[in-house]
Amino acid sequence: MDQKRLLVAIAASIGILLLFDMFNRPARDAQRAQQQQAAQVQQPAPTPGPPGPLRAPTDASPAAGEPRTPAARLPVEGPRVEGTLSLRGARLDDLVLRNYHETVDRNSPLVRILAPREGSAPYYAQWGWTATDGRTKVPANDTDWTVDAGARLTPATPVTLRWDNGEGQLFEIALTLDENYLVTAEQRVRNTAAEPVQLLPWARVRRESTPPTQGFYILHEGFVGVLDGRLREATYATAKSDGAKANGVALDQETGAGWAGFTDKYWLAALSPANPAIRTRTAFRHVSDAGPRGPEDRWQVDMAATSPISVANGATSVLGTRLFAGAKEVKLLDAYRDNLGIPDFDKAIDFGWFYFLTKPFFYALDWLFLLIGNFGVAILIFTVALKAAFFPLANKAYKSMSRMKILGPKMTEIRERHKEDPAKAQQEMMALYKTEKINPASGCLPILIQIPVFFALYKVLFVTIEMRHAPFFGWIHDLSAPDPTNLFNLFGLIPYDPTQLTHYLHMPAWALIMGATMFFQQKLNPQPPDPIQAKIFQWMPIIFTFMLASFPAGLVIYWSWNNLLSIAQQRYIMSLEAKRGGGKPAPAAPALAKPKKG
Amino acid sequence: MTAGAPHPGTWALKGAVLAYQYTLRPVLGCNCRFYPSCSDYALEALGTHGALRGAWFAGRRILRCNPWHPGGYDPVPLSPGAGAAIQPVPKG
Repeated sequence: MDQKRLLVAIAASIGILLLFDMFNRPARDAQRAQQQQAAQVQQPAPTPGPPGPLRAPTDASPAAGEPRTPAARLPVEGPRVEGTLSLRGARLDDLVLRNYHETVDRNSPLVRILAPREGSAPYYAQWGWTATDGRTKVPANDTDWTVDAGARLTPATPVTLRWDNGEGQLFEIALTLDENYLVTAEQRVRNTAAEPVQLLPWARVRRESTPPTQGFYILHEGFVGVLDGRLREATYATAKSDGAKANGVALDQETGAGWAGFTDKYWLAALSPANPAIRTRTAFRHVSDAGPRGPEDRWQVDMAATSPISVANGATSVLGTRLFAGAKEVKLLDAYRDNLGIPDFDKAIDFGWFYFLTKPFFYALDWLFLLIGNFGVAILIFTVALKAAFFPLANKAYKSMSRMKILGPKMTEIRERHKEDPAKAQQEMMALYKTEKINPASGCLPILIQIPVFFALYKVLFVTIEMRHAPFFGWIHDLSAPDPTNLFNLFGLIPYDPTQLTHYLHMPAWALIMGATMFFQQKLNPQPPDPIQAKIFQWMPIIFTFMLASFPAGLVIYWSWNNLLSIAQQRYIMSLEAKRGGGKPAPAAPALAKPKKG
Repeated sequence: MTAGAPHPGTWALKGAVLAYQYTLRPVLGCNCRFYPSCSDYALEALGTHGALRGAWFAGRRILRCNPWHPGGYDPVPLSPGAGAAIQPVPKG
């Protein structure tokens, strides 16, 4: 009775999960489509007004309706980035990554990391000041900065933005670009007036729409940073709820060396003080603005001096910050960490709790990838190496199997005797194993040790950019995307895409391969003694086939390969034992642990 | 920890073990060298000895459950303090 109820409960929970996903998925897809569509349609610029650091008044610009000349733009060109900086407001709001395309197609547009406010998904970096004395004229969003004629920001040519407020203060932002994704900004104020001025310099990264996220539990997207040695993460949802309790401030912390910004699955825009020795004040913020279609979310990470700086006559105040805007390549982040003193910068990649495993796994995989040239093959080889490392554990357990045959008659006798009570039979068999010093199972400890290891590999494959657009054999052109083939149109024989109907009508070839390997691998494993668990056990390959249908192909291939290796390993050990015993392999492990069938 | 007291920690741990039995165990297969299996042992130990002692017994049992231990029939010790002594095999 109880078992029946439990079975129903399980079925119901799975049903609810599937239903939830079904209702959720179209919404997610729609959101993504809407954002893509909107990106193409030019939208009126949203009214400025969100607060800067410590409610900086810089966003309060004069009437937006006032006709103005279009803003001048400073070209930005590096080996790996290109774009422009808006000289109105000193905003770096147009940056694409030259090495990354949006799709596998080499002719597809480059990945855009920063986008202007005039578009539908504004995402930019900005440098500015807040006048804490309440009277100094500081640059605002509509301030037109000047540069030398024909200036271009390249690794070879730094550029300095200048603005004179006409009241004795000269503002400067000196920008340098490196060979990769780093812009260093030095904000200077020179005071020539008699009175000292009180200013708070700041830098910020601001996102004026919520980006589409992958929505996977094992991948963090949103606010991220390492402040005073501690990794701080906040999803857009938690930042919103935390901010609601504290006037929009989800986090506000004074910190030494550190960094903070926004992370996507593969991309990052983050700030860090140029001098690791100085202390800064870093905040994660959220505000809601009235947009043309209702309230719109604005997200901001800012880094400011810890307290206002008083600049006396003839003095100059300086704040140096670095802006990273690019791809989260592990080795690049490690190099920035080591050369520039940006602590734990590699944690921008969500290596997770098993960092001590995932990080070395990544380096091993990457080494194999460079050696072989195909990331998929690198995964296969690395999995073989891991399996080999655990082989002694598995082998030890099977050493005793040849002795099983001697016990064969005794086993049959026990099973016969306890036909009505399988638990009793198993209990006696275990006692027999003990007295004869044999045991077919490898034990729970080896399994428990292997779980984090294989989870770590799974996690690495999920988060690293190396798998993005990496091809495999046959029809797999992108290991990080779901396998495109589909059983429900007979792998393309029927010219119709059933996924238009519902997302569940997608059953790719590799998921089916995975299901089959899992099924055969389970055949070699002993079943759970409990009948309900045994039922679940039988359903597992089917459940997993459906679950993994929409997963990145690289993960499904890894999973299939892992199953195949498990089967091969078990077969190999069994044949080894059979040879040693001089007979055919003992029916051993699976049969013995299934006393009910006896 | 009194035996069988409905302590929240005990319930949480029992829930975790049950969750394992119905989700992970079917994926991993049964590889226990003992009777009762480690997870059943954990449930029983938590039930009779409470969260702290129960978790302690279960943890030691999992550590024993490796290829270098013969395994076999190994019930939860009855009285607190009896340790993990393996009881004589009952005659069938």
